[in-house]
Amino acid sequence: MTMADATRKDALRYLFEKVVGPLGYKFTPDEELADFLLEQEVKLEQDHGAPFCPCQGRSGVRAEDMQIVCPCIPFHREHFDKMKRCWCGLFVHTDVTDPDSLPQLPPDEA
Amino acid sequence: MADEVVLYTLSTCPWCRKTKQWFADNQVPFELVEVDQLHGDEQDAAAEKAYQLSGGRRYPVVAINGEVVSGYNPGRYLELLKKSGG
Repeated sequence: MTMADATRKDALRYLFEKVVGPLGYKFTPDEELADFLLEQEVKLEQDHGAPFCPCQGRSGVRAEDMQIVCPCIPFHREHFDKMKRCWCGLFVHTDVTDPDSLPQLPPDEA
Repeated sequence: MADEVVLYTLSTCPWCRKTKQWFADNQVPFELVEVDQLHGDEQDAAAEKAYQLSGGRRYPVVAINGEVVSGYNPGRYLELLKKSGG
């Protein structure tokens, strides 16, 4: 990871924190996971133009793909609220202290 | 008869990594389709297949003997493997 990548990662972290707080979410307390996911997002932004969710695939349809740009919580609120975290796990509900205990529920079970 | 397990994953996704690890740890052989590591038509076809199977674009997508699990869900994997006597 270059210096520029590290700076971008810090910028995303700063920006995301401002956005997810009012939504009732925070960064996962699993620092290693947060770090890895942010690194992937920096890479995805460089390769594909936006920090897309590292655990969701792009369809090629812009309107759909914009709904998986991190933080994508507002577009999947109902589902994520049931899991108490977003799909990739970068963000969890503010009351979560043990993210490992949270299941990754498919949409039809949420 | 051996279980037919196919994992559709993204290299950027930690849950996909955990899924691969789970099947490896449990010594369940699987076919791996790392969608974002494919190119061109091959990538499009794999992404489309995962979409058809799961009805969404969230990864990992796990197909066990034709039944599909969306996400990292060891309990469900085990259930489907046991169902087939695996």
